Amino acid sequence: MTPSRWPTAIAFLVLALAVAASLFLGRVNVSPAEVIQGLLSPGASLAGLVVTELRLPRAVLAILVGASLGLSGAVLQGLLRNPLAEPGLLGVSNGAALGAVLSIYFGLSQAFPLATPLLGLVGAVGAGAMTFAFGRGGTLSLILAGSAVSGLALAFLALALNFAPNPYAAYEMNIWMLGTLSEKSWDHILLAAPFIALGLGILATMGRAVDALTLGEVQARSLGIDLDRTRILTLLGVGLSVGAATSVTGSIGFIGLVAPHLVRPFVGHQPGRTLLPSALLGAALLICADIVTRLLTTQNELRLGVVTSLIGAPFFFWLVLRLRKVAP
Amino acid sequence: MGAAAAVLLASQPAAAAPSGYAKPQRILSMNLCADMLLLELVPKPRIAAVTYLAHDGAEALFPGADAGIAINHGTAEDIINLKPDLILAGAFSTPLTRRLAKAIGAPIVEVPDATSFDDIRRNLHQVGAAVGEPARAETLVARMDADLAALAALPARPPVRVIAWSGGDSVPGKETLSGRIIEAAGAVNIAARPGQTYGAIDVEELLAARPDALLYGGGGPLKASVRGEEGQHRVLRRLYAGRRIVYSDIAHTCGLPQSARSALDLRRALDALPEQRVAR
Repeated sequence: MTPSRWPTAIAFLVLALAVAASLFLGRVNVSPAEVIQGLLSPGASLAGLVVTELRLPRAVLAILVGASLGLSGAVLQGLLRNPLAEPGLLGVSNGAALGAVLSIYFGLSQAFPLATPLLGLVGAVGAGAMTFAFGRGGTLSLILAGSAVSGLALAFLALALNFAPNPYAAYEMNIWMLGTLSEKSWDHILLAAPFIALGLGILATMGRAVDALTLGEVQARSLGIDLDRTRILTLLGVGLSVGAATSVTGSIGFIGLVAPHLVRPFVGHQPGRTLLPSALLGAALLICADIVTRLLTTQNELRLGVVTSLIGAPFFFWLVLRLRKVAP
Repeated sequence: MGAAAAVLLASQPAAAAPSGYAKPQRILSMNLCADMLLLELVPKPRIAAVTYLAHDGAEALFPGADAGIAINHGTAEDIINLKPDLILAGAFSTPLTRRLAKAIGAPIVEVPDATSFDDIRRNLHQVGAAVGEPARAETLVARMDADLAALAALPARPPVRVIAWSGGDSVPGKETLSGRIIEAAGAVNIAARPGQTYGAIDVEELLAARPDALLYGGGGPLKASVRGEEGQHRVLRRLYAGRRIVYSDIAHTCGLPQSARSALDLRRALDALPEQRVAR
């Protein structure tokens, strides 16, 4: 194993440990032997149901969502050459949130169960298309278009909250936006997984482009990188993966920002090599945050997005302190 | 000038109120539960407005009863525009509402939340007296008591262990109207802990608790939406197929004569449950 493989291997190990822990930990005490028994024979026993129908889909969804956020963050930070870039930057997260909230607003989720994630997907695709339409032709215009689309989606979110049909609906919209993995089933995974997989596949091919971009846009072009194509593919990849993820789980912040930063020092600050470890670490971080929400017994469920923000925001301070130390 | 206008405004209904037999003619309700009581107690022409939430509740309980009645959003403008001569409010009316009510001389009646059948009797009598329909209120109380008597007359049955779970983190406990309805129907609310109103329970805990049936609050005015979806988690759909009892939110949320009927309906649904226990 070459030294450059180590970060990936370690991230993979962390993820594997997190997944294992998430299968064994939960509100209901299921003994390790019963968990293994339940995995082997997913029959009618309580342990079997808890493990195969509740904890396993939750872990799988956390892997998909965390990987989407981590990988998108890594690619965007490389493409935009900005340490603050994160998956929400292109407007797809807020677009997905808007679609989902509208499904609550119009009571569609009442009519058929998967309306919320479906409309979330539509919102993410719509927002991505808008960002693309307005942001063609340059990195700066892409960021600006993303901010504009984000802002517009936020404005409509506020409007929907403002005109919520009743206080209860407003409460639900708010709560939905905090993000959660609880009560998600294989149905949700079947819906989101194809989009997430496609998006992740696209993003995984961006390594060479983001490496070349460290030299600057002109130099990258001279190395044979088609910048327009790179931007389009990034937008598509982020839109599909993060859009589908957000539409199922709600907004989950900071994972996409933090994961690449944690990985970077271990890969010699080469953006292309942060991609895979970032995806793995993003997944591991999300599972750990989810375990926290399960183990803290609170009157109301502690939402996942709240935990990631509480852990992620202090990370910003660390980032500032480090930048002050590094910069003259 | 302003003070004179306020006195003029105030003097008019105030003169009518103490006479005793003059019934309020423009009643404004600013609370969903008060809406429901008002719609049952008073003929339509005497209702100035109900809340914007009333429609769905009325549809669930007595379809069409609110047709043509104005709605209000509980704002100061509503009070001033509608010029009510009686205001029904929830337990927590705002100081502004009270001040405005005083300024226009309309008495304000605060209808407390009901968490038991006794509370419902008390509310019916209180609102019935305030709107000038004590006899009608008495009839409704009698109807409710008849339903409760019919329920009590049914043969005792082995208790069914239930959880009223509509997804998410708000499961009614013991000290709620829902809890009392479940108890009256002969079921045991296993989410009930002493002294607790609403609690949280996740799917894992729900499965581990092994209730015999799930009660699902749907079809009320407070439409669950995301919860509706979460309440459909496929493992519950599969395990509790045929063992999910849908009830109308409104009769569990608001203390109404229909709350007793809801208990009776629940008892019938419990009797109709399949024999075997939940497969495991």
